[in-house]
Amino acid sequence: MRIVIAEDSAVVRAGLAEILADRGHEVAAAVGNAGDLLAAVAEHQPDAAVVDVRMPPGYTDEGLRAAIAIRRHHPATGVLVFSQYIETRYAADLLGAAPGGGAAGVGYLLKDRVADVGEFIEALSRVAAGGTALDPEVVTQLLGASRRTDGLGSLTARERDVLALMAEGRSNSAIAGILVISERAVEKHVSNIFSKLGLAPSDADHRRVLAVLRYLET
Amino acid sequence: MHAPADNVPSWRPVLMRFLVRSWEYRRPRLWAGVRVACGIFNVVLGVLLLASFHWLGALTWLAALPLAGAALIFWTVYRLQQDSVLRVRELEQSRASLVDDSAARLRRIERDLHDGAQAQMVAVAMKLGLARDKLGGTIAGITVAGAAQADLERVLELVDAAHRGAKEAITELRDLARGIHPPVLDHGLGTALTTLAAGSDPPVELVVDLPERPSAAIETIAYFCAAELLTNVAKHAGARHATLEAAHMGGLLRIRVSDDGRGGARLEHRGGLAGLAERIRTVDGRLLISSPPRGPTVVTVELPSHA
Repeated sequence: MRIVIAEDSAVVRAGLAEILADRGHEVAAAVGNAGDLLAAVAEHQPDAAVVDVRMPPGYTDEGLRAAIAIRRHHPATGVLVFSQYIETRYAADLLGAAPGGGAAGVGYLLKDRVADVGEFIEALSRVAAGGTALDPEVVTQLLGASRRTDGLGSLTARERDVLALMAEGRSNSAIAGILVISERAVEKHVSNIFSKLGLAPSDADHRRVLAVLRYLET
Repeated sequence: MHAPADNVPSWRPVLMRFLVRSWEYRRPRLWAGVRVACGIFNVVLGVLLLASFHWLGALTWLAALPLAGAALIFWTVYRLQQDSVLRVRELEQSRASLVDDSAARLRRIERDLHDGAQAQMVAVAMKLGLARDKLGGTIAGITVAGAAQADLERVLELVDAAHRGAKEAITELRDLARGIHPPVLDHGLGTALTTLAAGSDPPVELVVDLPERPSAAIETIAYFCAAELLTNVAKHAGARHATLEAAHMGGLLRIRVSDDGRGGARLEHRGGLAGLAERIRTVDGRLLISSPPRGPTVVTVELPSHA
């Protein structure tokens, strides 16, 4: 993969570059602010960009704004946003940013997940390939935020668990492994979720994302 | 810190310092009363002297003495009154700048933590993660003599423990920093409250109407009030549903948390709500509690737009 890194802390930036290089990925550019990030993405057209939310000059959400801009103008580039804190509003902005509001090629992780190298690389690969990688905390918060409007109270607790793992970007077999149930059972839950959310049986992968978004929207 | 206003004469601090130590300052009402009584006595005396001009004749001018005394006394009362008005205004200004200063300082501490210790910790954890993976791979890939193998496995254990420790430190640092100043507040109270409401149990409905932003210090106080009130709902109310409202209009920021729990919330000495009231009072805000037995509980916090 060709990656662009945007992170204002020099030590973390160097660490990220080291990890990626170690796993055989090419770091096309490593920058320290949002303006340089947009320029680097336009220049290198990378497979994915790793973006810190808080960057100069304002140290609030410059990285997030840049990530949203990348999603709008460079849909082929996956965006993995990471931050010391997960903010519900940021997650909603990020997921809603793409044309059509899809969650394809986007990730939002807590910074400490970077420390688990294998998981981080896996999440980045998923995002670069057009998948989704949401921190479990993002999912908890978004589900918490949408809980109040109870049009979707019809989902059972188990279906909710499955949906949460789908939102993190897990496959059926991964979900089966985590919940310690059979893959067949997961498939049954997933199809129940689809029908309860009124999603027609069409291209399976995209539908998973739609299910999550529909759940979050309502 | 706070420079005295230009229109205040330079002897005032000396006089105030004297007054602070005197009985005058500790019993202001008593002394104001004594002064006014003396003034009235002098006026009465003066009038009586004036009224007895038949007997006094040429000595009637003596009436001017108590009248002049009364004028002097009343002038003093007036000046002291003015002084105390000025002093209250000055104290309010210096308190406001203290509140703003401390909010700004906390914000700076949080940013220093973020740029310094937190970033370093993340870098350390990343390196340890990489080291652990490499070492794990090495141990799986080679076979060495028994003792060396045991050593390698021991090293892997140590690296793994250090990695876990570093991750825990990151989490603790994050909680600490967030308790000092949630950085999302820089983006506005509404955004910060969204995360707060989303993470809370029982489910919280959020109603935000913040067309204009209050000052940073007020936003911080409002945020921590909301956090404390939601914690109280989760801990004590036994509620199934709660509402968090935030509205800012006419120079007043109002935060209201209502729940359908068991009620009976009271302002107790040293209790959570008392601490909250104390914090709100530093900016002349108000805390209103309505919590009959069996609920519902409505706690309202009113804060000025600026400290």
